[in-house]
Amino acid sequence: MGVESQEPAQIGDIVYSIAVSPNFTRDGICFAARRSGLYRSKDGGITWRSAYEALSLKAPLPTMTVAVSPDFAVDRSVFAGVLGGILRSSDGGACWSLAELASPPPLVSALVVSPDFAHDGTLLAATMDDGVFRSADRGSRWVAWNFGLLDLHVLTLAISPAFAQDETLFAGTESGLFRSTNGGRAWREVHFPTAAAPVLSLALSPAYAADGVLFAGTEGSGEPEYPSGLFHSSDRGRTWVGLGDEAFGGAVNGILLSPDFPTQADVLAVLDSSLTISRDGGQTWSPWKAGLSFDQGISCAAAPQGLNPSAPVLAGLVDGGVLRL
Amino acid sequence: MTRSQTTQARPAVVFQPAAYRGMQQGIDQIVEAIRPTLGPRPRLVAIERASRSKPPELLDSGGVIARRIIELPDPDQNMGAMFIRGLLWRLHEQVGDGTATAATLFQSLFNQGVRYMVSGGNAMLLRRHLEGGMQLILDTLTSMTTQVEGKEDLERVAASICYDPPLARLLGEILDIVGEYGWLEIRSSQGRELEREYVEGAYWEGGVLSRQMLDGQPKPKVEMENAAILISDLEVEDPQQLVPVMDVTLQAGLRSLLIVAGKLSDSAIGLLQANRDPAKFQAIAVQAPAPRTDERAAALEDLAVLTGGIPLLKAAGDTLGRVTLAELGRARRVWADRSHFGVVAAQGDPHRLRAQIASLREAISRVGSGPSSFARTPQAGDAEARRRLQQRMGKLMGGSAILWVGGATESEIALRKELAQRTADALRGAVLEGVLPGGGVSLLACCPRLRQMLDQSTDPDERFAYRALLRAMEEPCRTIITNAGYDASEIMSEIRRGGLGCGFDVISGQIVDVWQAGILDVAAVQKAAVRSAVSGAGLALTVDTLVRRKRPAVSMEPD
Repeated sequence: MGVESQEPAQIGDIVYSIAVSPNFTRDGICFAARRSGLYRSKDGGITWRSAYEALSLKAPLPTMTVAVSPDFAVDRSVFAGVLGGILRSSDGGACWSLAELASPPPLVSALVVSPDFAHDGTLLAATMDDGVFRSADRGSRWVAWNFGLLDLHVLTLAISPAFAQDETLFAGTESGLFRSTNGGRAWREVHFPTAAAPVLSLALSPAYAADGVLFAGTEGSGEPEYPSGLFHSSDRGRTWVGLGDEAFGGAVNGILLSPDFPTQADVLAVLDSSLTISRDGGQTWSPWKAGLSFDQGISCAAAPQGLNPSAPVLAGLVDGGVLRL
Repeated sequence: MTRSQTTQARPAVVFQPAAYRGMQQGIDQIVEAIRPTLGPRPRLVAIERASRSKPPELLDSGGVIARRIIELPDPDQNMGAMFIRGLLWRLHEQVGDGTATAATLFQSLFNQGVRYMVSGGNAMLLRRHLEGGMQLILDTLTSMTTQVEGKEDLERVAASICYDPPLARLLGEILDIVGEYGWLEIRSSQGRELEREYVEGAYWEGGVLSRQMLDGQPKPKVEMENAAILISDLEVEDPQQLVPVMDVTLQAGLRSLLIVAGKLSDSAIGLLQANRDPAKFQAIAVQAPAPRTDERAAALEDLAVLTGGIPLLKAAGDTLGRVTLAELGRARRVWADRSHFGVVAAQGDPHRLRAQIASLREAISRVGSGPSSFARTPQAGDAEARRRLQQRMGKLMGGSAILWVGGATESEIALRKELAQRTADALRGAVLEGVLPGGGVSLLACCPRLRQMLDQSTDPDERFAYRALLRAMEEPCRTIITNAGYDASEIMSEIRRGGLGCGFDVISGQIVDVWQAGILDVAAVQKAAVRSAVSGAGLALTVDTLVRRKRPAVSMEPD
């Protein structure tokens, strides 16, 4: 199967999110957010240990999402979303402090860090009931900014690679897709087919500022109008087309793009029980590796070294395991 | 020009040429009062107060100046003055700006038209050709329009409207956040500066029904989490009526209840107070918003959409006896103080919310500040109706903004608040319909097409209409230059030599590319001004006879 390692699985211990160090090739650091807590690997996902050891927790702390600073090599900042707040670490995930969100405690569903974090210190957190919170001081204080966000059940966030210039973000919600062009202070609904919602996953082209390309993954309504759960826009979300009609029947839990997209037009879609790759920007699809199947279900994935056939992919499983493929 | 100065006119029928002459003189008086306010270096117009011991009101808004002039002493002149007053006032109500542009365009067209009529022109044909030329102008303006996006764009547009950089900066930021349909409240501040505040969620007027409910709070405000919300205008006399609501709330595992009601008896309030234990159960009761029945019903409907509840209304015969959980709204946080209550992170159905917003947007477009509104004749009361609809819509959009306006004196604060409101209204139009080159340049850019039509036409009335429009299109630009203290003839020649897109920056005193210099006009405002002026002048020119009343009633509002 090409599996090099697997964390012992616990029943129901789903892996919600995986984040990797920008210097993964050299430091091999990655994090997995699970129902049972946050786990850290220093050897590229081969072995894992709890990142919450310093907290001496009496009970598991469900962790819905994790994000790593783009300047991790210097600032060692890691952020983890838990019920009611954001845990911050500035030593690579050894010690943590909690920044609380509004009360009653919201469930944090996604985190994004500004690509220009070293200068703007900006992060955004999506929540399941309270919309989007924004911090501009490296995660110390958080303020809800939900102007125009008509659906506060936010499932996913995506940030523009050129955020420092265009201040653009997208928020996928239970009922549609919203865009902010002012750093997450206000939102406007995007003309996304609402019948296809909820929007579970988003990916912006690394060249988004120039090509305006983004992908959105949904649950896959099964309706004849939207047979696929994967959508593509090449005009910053104004118009959308469904992709991969035959390849996709169910939910698209994650979308990964090649760091050289669109020059290398690789798109990896994380489906309920398979990984599917397109080498032509989403026109044709094939399994990530022949003969690979995930009966236990895949919930998320990360591709720390791109999407070349020889590059590793870390796949988070519904049963709590992480596969290095 | 107050009521006491007017003369008692005898009833009479006034024919041409006296009718034109009288109207023209009245129109000229209004336009000459407004003309100084056009451009980035406007001069103020001082209006005497009702009490002469008070300092005069200082104005730089053509719409407000027109509104303040309620009557001229000469009845024939008064008819002309009131004609253009009504036109400008409605324009002001519709788009918030553009009245000085419309006034100068109107005056130019009317005065040229009167000369043509006196020399034997046909008023009806002239009107038809003026309106044909107007469509050409509107089409040309549409082709030049550029959309506005982002804070910086909005700031530039705001600066072109209000010529007040700190105000423009804040309004640009606010409109970028609350959006073209968002709610902005402009309030007087104690200080001298401008401040802004963003309010999360929605709030309504209607504080706690008993101040006892604020007892024990660290500040005069009570807050609750994960609350159920009873949305009603019911009057509750018997405390037992509240029991089913409290039971339903508790059965749903909720410990907080916000009761919105028309009235609660003392004993009903006593029941809520007796059961108040934040650790177990807490209920607060607030006054249903808005005193008018229709506004109250609308507010309760909005609250229901936002929170996912159903309003229980007295008029519908609803009672609390069989209330169900589905009828109660939900919000992550609710609050109330002495005068307001609010909900934050309301948990209504987003699809229902979208439908309500779409319906309000449609209603706004019918009364102004919407893309389809600029093609209709504005009506009296539009501004108030629009304000109410915008307020309702703003509450549904997730938050609102408050702009605090300070100043050294009350007059200064009032002037800046009026300017802020006018600029905000125009900015909404800019987001909806885009912007044009400012400084009168967009109107100058219509001249080549008008000249082309003039060259092609052989009909004398049509040719005159194009000539009149050509001359009128220069008038706003000339006025801006003159108001800033420059020689308009000389500078107009330089602008013509500069070509399309060039205009005069009265701040720097240079001929510039107005786009690059950030001199912009709101397309919606400019088009509405052209439409009002050309249609109005065409109509005024068809007036052949004036009929004076014996005792005309003085009305503050145009019909």
